[in-house]
Amino acid sequence: MNRIIFLALLFISCTASAITLDDVQRSFASQPVVRAKFQQDRQISGMAQPLHSSGEVLIAKSKGLWWQQQHPFPMTLVLDDSHMAQIMGNQAPQIITADSNPQMFQFNHLLRALFQADRKVLDENFSSVFTDQGKGQWQLVLTPITTPLDKLFSTITLQGDKHLNRIALNDLQGDFTEITFSNHRLEPRKLTHEEQQRFTF
Amino acid sequence: MKSSNASPSDVHRRLAWGWLAVVTLLVALLVVTLPKARLDSSVLSLLPASSLGKIPPQIENGFLQRLDRQMMWMVSPGDKPNDEAAAWWQTQLQQQPFLQGVQGPMDAKGQQEWGEFYFEHRNGLVDTQTRSRLQNGGEAQAQWILAQLYSAFSGVSGKELTNDPLMLTRGSQLALQQTASQMRLMNGWLVARDKQGRYWYLLHGELKGSSFDMQQGREAVEQLRALQHKLKQQFPQAQVMSRGTLFYSDYASQQAKHDVSTLGLATVIGVLLLILLVFRSVRPLILCVTSVGIGALAGTAITLLCFGELHLMTLVMSMSIVGVSADYTLYYLTERMVHGGQNSPIASLRKVLPALLLALATTAIAYLIMILAPFPGIRQLAVFAASGLIASCLTVVCWYPFAVRGLPVHQVPCRHWLNAWLDAWQHNNAVRFGIPLALLVISLGGIASLKINDDIASFQALPQDLLREEQAITALTGQGMDQKWFVVYGDSAEQTLQRLEKLAPALAKLKADKAIDSYRLIPLASLEQQQADLQLLREAAPVLQKRLAESGITVSAPNLQQMAVTPDVWQKSVISSGWRLLWLSLPDGKSGALVPVSGVHDSQQLGQIAAKIPGVGWVDRKVMFNELFSHFRSLLATLLAAAVAAIALSYVLRLGVKRGLLSVVPSLLSLGGGLAALALSGHALNLFSLLALMLVLGIGINYTLFFSNPRGTPLTSLLAISVALLTTLFTLGMLVFSQTQAIASFGIVLSCGIFCAFLTAPLALPPSTQGKGKRES
Repeated sequence: MNRIIFLALLFISCTASAITLDDVQRSFASQPVVRAKFQQDRQISGMAQPLHSSGEVLIAKSKGLWWQQQHPFPMTLVLDDSHMAQIMGNQAPQIITADSNPQMFQFNHLLRALFQADRKVLDENFSSVFTDQGKGQWQLVLTPITTPLDKLFSTITLQGDKHLNRIALNDLQGDFTEITFSNHRLEPRKLTHEEQQRFTF
Repeated sequence: MKSSNASPSDVHRRLAWGWLAVVTLLVALLVVTLPKARLDSSVLSLLPASSLGKIPPQIENGFLQRLDRQMMWMVSPGDKPNDEAAAWWQTQLQQQPFLQGVQGPMDAKGQQEWGEFYFEHRNGLVDTQTRSRLQNGGEAQAQWILAQLYSAFSGVSGKELTNDPLMLTRGSQLALQQTASQMRLMNGWLVARDKQGRYWYLLHGELKGSSFDMQQGREAVEQLRALQHKLKQQFPQAQVMSRGTLFYSDYASQQAKHDVSTLGLATVIGVLLLILLVFRSVRPLILCVTSVGIGALAGTAITLLCFGELHLMTLVMSMSIVGVSADYTLYYLTERMVHGGQNSPIASLRKVLPALLLALATTAIAYLIMILAPFPGIRQLAVFAASGLIASCLTVVCWYPFAVRGLPVHQVPCRHWLNAWLDAWQHNNAVRFGIPLALLVISLGGIASLKINDDIASFQALPQDLLREEQAITALTGQGMDQKWFVVYGDSAEQTLQRLEKLAPALAKLKADKAIDSYRLIPLASLEQQQADLQLLREAAPVLQKRLAESGITVSAPNLQQMAVTPDVWQKSVISSGWRLLWLSLPDGKSGALVPVSGVHDSQQLGQIAAKIPGVGWVDRKVMFNELFSHFRSLLATLLAAAVAAIALSYVLRLGVKRGLLSVVPSLLSLGGGLAALALSGHALNLFSLLALMLVLGIGINYTLFFSNPRGTPLTSLLAISVALLTTLFTLGMLVFSQTQAIASFGIVLSCGIFCAFLTAPLALPPSTQGKGKRES
């Protein structure tokens, strides 16, 4: 009897815990601000060693994406609804606005969609395969169906649990980029004053 | 006056033959000069030489003609992206015989060629941003390359790094994307999305052939409209917007056609009825046309002889002035009609001759004053008008005594009314003083409230739907039809490009200062600049390699050969697509580049910048036209005042101070009345009103002098003037009903002006003939 109940419970808990893309999206949606460290390895074909870089990332649902590479050299990228800014070394920031260049912006929306698992945007641009890997782990393999993405990437793979842990990008030219995220921090749930400044143009 | 040996009739016969010889000579002259003559229709050549700048006319005209040929369409399938409708539209356009170079999407092959050209010429196509990163040894470029390499989303491949380690192709592509329009590339199509979420696919093409006459333009527009219907049937959700000068010129010609067909009919019927009623013969009409025709012929021939060219606008203006000479014919014919029973044709001529010659001389002086104007166009006008009027008058004098034989003679129609009117002028102070005073008050009041408007846009109300589509296209593409641009020119392509490079920093600064919103500069460098870039690259390459090596990236040595891109190579390549319009090379090597500027706040400031750089001109078509119009308006106003002064002087010298000044009153009141009518009807003063005033002046002189002729009969004069007035009202006065505002305002000034001249002309009645009117008729 106990055994049966146990099995039933196990069955129920299994069905209950089968994660779907919608679950992931819902879970991400409940995280207004995510801060994390990132570690990037980029393998370019023909180059002897991979390019390592690392830094901090901030994803704010209401604002956008802040990506700060700290090693091997500082470089900051900020994306919001209408701006894209790249700040590098002591050079003047390069700012592109949505009005002046919708072409580039299309790409930005996509980038933000990746980090937030925005199903609507993802479905428009990729065919996707979602797998539950057990123990709360999931994987989403995206294959681009629109230009220019299909000219750049063969697949984009996202992995995670409550958070996004890993993005792997397979270039068409055989290059490979892996970004892993660690030390996720959800608190405070609002942007601090200092963090808000990062999105001021 | 005439030799006493021969009979007057013989003398006159000789005169007639002599005039025929002269006319024949004029025809011969015209036949010889006309083929060589240049009929100038460019409005720019009316401008004073100083404001025209030094832009070579071939370059200016070359660009304008090319721009006038451009057509642009945007096809929307709805709020889902789909290029079927646009592709269908493109296929249809390509089948139209009047279009050429219809372009839609760039196919995969084109895109590949594009990339290849940029790669193969990367050392010659260095963009401004890369150039500035290469300065000071290239440290900044090294940082930039590293950033691209490290960025996961930049898409740098190993192949790219091997082939183009300095990433010059990437740099120029990114720079181009940043200057590019607000459009995105979808499936090779340039696509924009409006606020309602509709997608719009861009197509463009140009009209075949440089000149399109009215008929061809009409057919083309109708054909395009029919295609639009078909598109709607095939794709019910689809919409098309079009833009091109063709649509505006077609609209203007349709409107003109409407004016001509409705007003023209009224004119013909009105004049015919009037002449038939008064003279009971159509011959006077034929004679009027003949004298005006010979006047136009002589005017054209003499002007071409003097200047070798004729401006279209001069021709039109002068023709209407010469048209006034129909008054001479009418005056003589009226005299014949009334007194043909008792006087011979020659005796009648003697009676009207002093008035005719005086009117001619005064009018000719008034117009000849304009020869002092510093513009070839107005000087041509002066010569044309004076010679045309003289020829017209001579035609009446020399020929018409023979042409009037058998013309019906009968009494003055409506003589009670006319007599009463004359009587009132002599005995009724309310009329004699009241009318001029009332006119004076109205004139002064009107003139005081007169507004001046030289804005060309207000002259013609453009069709709303065309304007709406144009604005929508401008909003979607970011490319306006402002017609504001810098023209950069030089004796060679290289010189032009070097001058363009001198202008570039000024443009960048203007944009940074928000003095302009944007500009389009062709992405092509002079050979001199390309050489300098190569030098920069050679200096920076070792630094770049070293920096990359420090980060653990080894790259092969970059190719630092010259990869020259000349305008010729560039124009033939696929990368110039979308830019070719902005570059023009003439067979002799002279070249020009157009730099369209949008969002101009201070046109004058840009003019000053252009003046500082050799070979750069600022063209703001709208401002230029407005300046042209205001310039001519004030000039004509001055000339008009001078003409009035000259006329007054001639009257005073001839008639003494009191009667002289009195005779100039009708002219003044007619000018004032015309202006007052303009103000009271809510129009503003512009160039066209001044042109009308010039006609009013000439006509007013005729009316006054016909009345002041001591040999004439007031009643006959009054009849002649009445017929002349009605004829002018039926012809030029009809323009009041024109749908084009500028022409309507011309008509108002003219009609009211000459009516005032008519009202006040009896003021000039000579004292000796006063009261004779009733007895003689």
